[in-house]
Amino acid sequence: MKTKTEVKRQAILNAAAEVFREMGFERASMSDIRARTGGSKATLYNYFPSKEKLFFEVMHKAKAGELEEIVGGLNPEAEDFKQQLLDFGKNLLVVLYSPEAMAIRHLTIAESRHSDIGKLSFEQAAAPIESRVADFLRRGMKRRAIRTADPKIAAMHLLSLLESELMQRFLLGMLDPVKPETITSAVRRAVEVFISGYARR
Amino acid sequence: MQVNKSDIKRQAILETAYRLFRVQGFDKTSMDEITAQVGGSKSTVYSHFPSKEGLFVECMMAALENYMSGTLKYLDASRADPRAALLNFGSSVLKFICSPEQLEVRRLIIAEAARSGTGKLFFGKLSALRVKLSAFLAECMASGKLRHDDPDLAAEQLGAMLEAEMLEPLLLQVREGSPDEQEIALAAQRAVATFLRAYAPNSPQERQSRSGRAAKSSVRGAE
Repeated sequence: MKTKTEVKRQAILNAAAEVFREMGFERASMSDIRARTGGSKATLYNYFPSKEKLFFEVMHKAKAGELEEIVGGLNPEAEDFKQQLLDFGKNLLVVLYSPEAMAIRHLTIAESRHSDIGKLSFEQAAAPIESRVADFLRRGMKRRAIRTADPKIAAMHLLSLLESELMQRFLLGMLDPVKPETITSAVRRAVEVFISGYARR
Repeated sequence: MQVNKSDIKRQAILETAYRLFRVQGFDKTSMDEITAQVGGSKSTVYSHFPSKEGLFVECMMAALENYMSGTLKYLDASRADPRAALLNFGSSVLKFICSPEQLEVRRLIIAEAARSGTGKLFFGKLSALRVKLSAFLAECMASGKLRHDDPDLAAEQLGAMLEAEMLEPLLLQVREGSPDEQEIALAAQRAVATFLRAYAPNSPQERQSRSGRAAKSSVRGAE
């Protein structure tokens, strides 16, 4: 049975998700969120000490599920290794470069200056993705689809190549909403370089 | 050498602002407070730096500019083998960006970029470094040491692979302590090795003559 606290906490998370979606992180305020849940501001702060923490809880969890699914789609048994990477890269960037995910990542970096949000995010999102990709690449090395190398390093190279055309602009807040075609062609270029960098000779 | 009084003032403003921005962040630091700590009048501060945004960018980029000349000297395309140049360049870049101070600066830059509109100013400054790397790669492509492709794209990919192993955990404070020289050298080696395999000249013909081939137009944005 759910306790009263859990019910309340979930109600706040749901209300916050709505408010963030409608207003965006910057414009949304704790008062807006309180207005939807009822109750006092003190109660709200009791559950979530800051707008940042609340935002992290709401958005990060939602995106973590999506990312999990994408990484799960990598099939080491599939015939066409390159196509697997192309599909994975595209799905990954579509999520990472959605306005919500960009907002979370920006906030995560900013907040990691004075809280453990950065660490949480890395442990819950980045590290699992990296290790699942490394597993996939390890199988690819065994099948001789690519040369033998440290799969963990190869995973980091692949992930960084996938983001190489977008990351800097995104981090500096200069990226307009990314079109699907932009993602498709950036992923193709990244995967081609990855494949030739890890080709068997 | 004569030291200009105005330069001294400018330097004092930069140093004070740098300290305040790092401690308090962008929003909480005002031009008034900077003026109060440097001494002198607000109009003097404004005559050096017309806006808080401009001052923020200048002082955050000062360290980068000092370091750039030291790092760019490695990019000498006249050498026979681009590997050594890229290894030295890569290690030097990593050593700089993985230092605790630069990581803090980077977090601050990213945090403020979207809010205060300073991102565009930083982007311009940072692009200067990328342009130099791109020019080096273009020369290597022209002399057949690397296969022909878009040098800007190649520069972005190399930059990303150099940072791939350690930037994120450092930026997010997941790991403490800077990587040592050996770790940096290894990361640079692995990134450069992968990059050079990917950009190896295609064939002996291509290596020897580029005359038969019209300059390949930029692949990017073409589709």
